[in-house]
Amino acid sequence: MEDLIKELKELEELVLQCMKCGTCQAHCPLYQKDLNESAVARGKISLIESVYEGRLDKAGSILKHLDYCILCGRCKENCPSGVKTDEIFLRAKAVLRKIEKLPSWGKVVLKIVMEKPDLLARVAPLMHIGLKFGAKRVKDDIFKPLLGSFSKRNIKQVASKPFTKTHGGLHKADNEKMKVYFYPGCAANFLFPEWGEAIISVLNHFGVTVYVPEINKCCGIPAATLGEIETYKKMVDENLNHINDIDCEYVITCCPTCQYALSEMGPKVTGIIANKPFFDILMFLDEVLGVNFEVKLNERYTTHIPCHYRSTKKERLKSHVAKNIKGENITLENQSCCGFGGTFNMKKYDDSKAVGMSKAFEVKSKGIEKLFTPCPGCAMQLTDAIVESGSNAKVEHPIVYYAREIVKSGISKDKTEKGQ
Amino acid sequence: MLSKSLVKKFEEILGQGGYFTKPEDTMCYSYDAFSAEPVQPDIVVKPKNEEQIKQIITLCKNENIPLVTRGAGTNLSGGTVPVKKGCVLLTTGLNKILEINENDMYAVVEAGVVTANLANAAVKNGLFYPPDPGSMNISTIGGNVAENAGGLRGLKYGVTKDYLMGVNFFDMDGNYVKGGGKTVKLVTGFNLPGLMVSSEGLLGVMTKFVLKLIPKPKFSRSMLVIYDDIIKACETVSEIIAAKILPATLELLDNFTIKTVEDATKIGLPTAADALLLIELDGHEGQVMDDFEVVKKICENLKGNIKIAETVEDKNRLWEARRKALSSLARLKPTLILEDATVVRSKIPGMMRAIQDITKKYNLTIGTFGHAGDGNLHPTILTDKRDKDEMLRVEKAIDEIFAKALELEGTLSGEHGVGFAKAKYLEMEVGRGTIEYMKKLKKGVDPYNLLNPQKMGL
Ligand SMILES: Cc1cc2nc3c(=O)[nH]c(=O)nc-3n(C[C@H](O)[C@H](O)[C@H](O)COP(=O)(O)OP(=O)(O)OC[C@H]3O[C@@H](n4cnc5c(N)ncnc54)[C@H](O)[C@@H]3O)c2cc1C
Ligand code: SF4
Ligand code: SF4
Repeated sequence: MEDLIKELKELEELVLQCMKCGTCQAHCPLYQKDLNESAVARGKISLIESVYEGRLDKAGSILKHLDYCILCGRCKENCPSGVKTDEIFLRAKAVLRKIEKLPSWGKVVLKIVMEKPDLLARVAPLMHIGLKFGAKRVKDDIFKPLLGSFSKRNIKQVASKPFTKTHGGLHKADNEKMKVYFYPGCAANFLFPEWGEAIISVLNHFGVTVYVPEINKCCGIPAATLGEIETYKKMVDENLNHINDIDCEYVITCCPTCQYALSEMGPKVTGIIANKPFFDILMFLDEVLGVNFEVKLNERYTTHIPCHYRSTKKERLKSHVAKNIKGENITLENQSCCGFGGTFNMKKYDDSKAVGMSKAFEVKSKGIEKLFTPCPGCAMQLTDAIVESGSNAKVEHPIVYYAREIVKSGISKDKTEKGQ
Repeated sequence: MLSKSLVKKFEEILGQGGYFTKPEDTMCYSYDAFSAEPVQPDIVVKPKNEEQIKQIITLCKNENIPLVTRGAGTNLSGGTVPVKKGCVLLTTGLNKILEINENDMYAVVEAGVVTANLANAAVKNGLFYPPDPGSMNISTIGGNVAENAGGLRGLKYGVTKDYLMGVNFFDMDGNYVKGGGKTVKLVTGFNLPGLMVSSEGLLGVMTKFVLKLIPKPKFSRSMLVIYDDIIKACETVSEIIAAKILPATLELLDNFTIKTVEDATKIGLPTAADALLLIELDGHEGQVMDDFEVVKKICENLKGNIKIAETVEDKNRLWEARRKALSSLARLKPTLILEDATVVRSKIPGMMRAIQDITKKYNLTIGTFGHAGDGNLHPTILTDKRDKDEMLRVEKAIDEIFAKALELEGTLSGEHGVGFAKAKYLEMEVGRGTIEYMKKLKKGVDPYNLLNPQKMGL
C-alpha cells in the first residue's frame, strides 16, 4: 500500500498544475450530464491528491470515479493551466489497478483483442453470422442483438472477413511518387472495411502506394483505459517497431484514437517514437497531397468532430469538410463528445448512450440526413444513438464519398500538388 | 461522521440518489478555486426543488449541522470550503431559466443556472445581461449574487448587484423570504436583495432571482494601446475617466503578463511593450466615434500606440488575450495567488507603482492585469506552496498590498469576496463597529451560526 501511495505521489508535479479553477466543468460531457464534481477533471484530480496526501485512506475507492470518464480529453484541451489530465488519469488508473483487480470481462476482452489478433480475425466471420441470425435488422447493415445486455444497442454488421485479411500487403500505385503505411485499427478492420478500401483506392489514384499490415495489432488504448498500462506499452512497442521497420514516408490512420494512442500518448509512456509522421487520412489529403474533391451532396449534413482528433487540426477538419462536401452544411449547437469512449461504452453503456442521445436528438430535430465523422468509434456510437432517436440520418466517413467521386467523375490526378 | 439514523433522515427528504456520504464522494466538495487546505463535509445534498431545501434546512437546524451552500465552487476566497464540516448543499440541481420577459426586460432564474446560459438566453431574445465574470461559463447565478461578481464590463455596466431586482431565499428557520420583485420601482420593506448581495452564503440559501436585462448596444469599437511605460498606461485610464468617458471595457496587462500570454497563445501580442490597454467603447455609432477621438488623443499624448481591431476576428483575439491572462500565468508555477485589491480609479497609477516596489522588495514573481477602468487590479503571485521561505515573503507582500490599497481609499477585494481567505483582514478595512453590526445581523437570522460558519470571521 505504501509503495502504491508513493507511486501516486509521483504524479504530484502534474497534479499541482491544476489550480482547481473548475473551467473543465464547461467542457466535460459527463459533468454536463450529471452536474457532479466527481465526474469532472477537477474532482478526479483532487481525489488522487487526497490519496497521496493521506486524506483518503481507501485508495481503491477512487477508481470508480476515475473509471467514470470517457477519456475524451476535452478537459485537457480546454484547461487554461495546461494540466495533462489524460496522462494523470491513465497513470493513476495503472497504479490503482494493482489493488482493484480488473473484472473478468475486461480480462477476456484484453486477452483476445490485444494478445490474439489472429484469433479475433478468425472469429469475425462467426460474429458476422451471429449478428445475422441472433439479431434483428434495424436498417441497412445495422442490427439490434436479441440477447443479453447488448439488446439495447444498434450495432453495425461485423465484416465477414477483417480488412487486413482481405487487404494486407502492398498496394502499389501507378506512377508511384510516395509510399505510406496504413494503420487501420480494430474498428475499421472489423466494422468499417469499406473505409480502408476507400483509403487505398483514393491514395492509389493520386500515386501513393499503400502498405497494409497483414495482421492488425490493436493500438492498446483499451488496455490503458482499463488501467493495464503494461499491456498498452507492449502494444505501442510492437506497433511502433513494425511501423519503424517499414520503408515509407508517412503513417496514415482513420481512427483519431489510434493515432493519439500511437503517436501522442504512446511515445510518452514507452519512450519509443515513430520515425515518420502520423496523419489522419483527411488531413493527409488536405495538407500533404493538397487535393480537392468538392463532392455534390443534395442533402443536409453536419460534421461531428472527434474529441481525439489532433487539437491543432480540428479547425482545419471543419473547413476541409465544408470545402469538399458541397451540400447544406449545418453546424450543430451541440459540439460536445459523442460519449463513446471505447471501454467506457462497455462499462457504462447507459451513461455513454445518454451523452450521444443529446446530439442525436438535435440531428433529428434539425432534419439532418447525413452526419460525417472521421472516427469509427464516434461513428458506432452516433449510429446507435441516431437510430434510437428515430432520425434517418446516415453516419459516414467523407473518404467513402471521395472514392466514389473518383470513380464517377474521374478527378484528375493533376489536382495533386506536391505537399507543403 | 453522521449517525446512520441521521443519514436516513436526509434520505427521506432527498431519495437515494440525492445525497452523498461516501468519503470518495464528499471529498469532491472539500475545496473550491481558492488554494486552501481542503475540508471534507459529512454529507453533500443535491436538492431538486425548494421544498427539499426547506426540509434540509429544518433538519440541519434541529440537528445542529453546519450548512454550506455551493454553486459551481469557483469562488476565489474559500467561500465553499466547509471549515466546520457538516452539510454541503449543491444548487446545481436547480438550473432552470424560468422566464425571459422581453417586454418588461427581466429574467427569472433558479440559483444553479450557469451565468453564460442566462447571457445566451438573453441574447437570443434580443437582450443583454452584462455581468461577465471570467468564470461565466461555469459560475452559477447564485454564486454571482452571493459574491457580487463583476467582470470586464463593470466600469460602464456595473456588476451583479446592479442587475438584481428580486431574490427568494430560505433563512435558517426555514422561512421563505421574498425580497424585491419584477417592477423597476419597489419600496416595500427592507431592500433584501441588497442585503443578499455579497452575503457569501451566511444569511440564507437563495433559490430564485429576478434579474434586470437591458437592450444590447448597437455599435462598438475595440482597440489595443501599446505603452513603453506601464505608469503612462495607468495615467491614460485616469484621464479617460476624467474626460467623462465610460468605455465598456478598460483592461490592463503588464509586460510579464503580455509575454506569458503570448508564449501560451501565440496571438501576436507586442512582447516588448511594458503594458497594454484593451479598450472597448460601445453605444450609438455617433457617440462611440466622438468618444473614440477623445480617447485617441489621450492615448497619443501619453505616448500610447493605438491599434484598432478592424474585424470581428481581431476583436475576438484581443478579448482572448485578456481572458487567457490568468490561465497563462497559472502555467508557470505550481501555486498561483490571485489578489484583487481595488482602489478608486484615479489612484491606479499609485497602486501600480506600489505593486512594482513590493514585487522587488520581496523578490517575487508577480504578473499584474485587470480591470484598470474600475480600479480593480489583479496582482497575481506565482509561487510554490511547498517553498516555505517564499510563502512567508508572499504573505508579507500581500499584507503590504492590502495596506496600500486601503491607504489609496480602496478595498481588499473588488470582486472575489472575503470567505476565509481575507477574513483576518476584514476589520482592518471596515473597523470594529462594522464587524459588530455584521455579527448582530448574522446572529439575528442564524442564532446558532450554522450558515457557512467562520466565513468573514463570523
Ligand atoms: C477562472 C476564474 C475566473 C474568475 N473571474 C471572475 C471575475 O472576473 N469576476 C468575479 O467577480 N469573480 C470571478 N471569479 C470568481 C468566481 O467565479 C465568482 O465568485 C462566482 O460568482 C462564483 O460562483 P459559483 O457558482 O462558483 O459560487 P460558489 O463558489 O459555489 O459559491 C460562492 C459563495 O456563494 C455562496 N453561494 C453560492 N450559491 C448560493 C446560493 N444559492 N445561496 C446562498 N449562497 C450561495 C457560497 O456559499 C459561497 O460562499 C473567477 C473564478 C475563476 C476560477
Ligand atoms: S484541470 Fe484545468 S480546467 Fe480543470 S480545474 Fe484543474 S486547472 Fe482548472
Ligand atoms: S476526459 Fe472527458 S469525460 Fe473524462 S474528465 Fe475529462 S472531459 Fe470529463
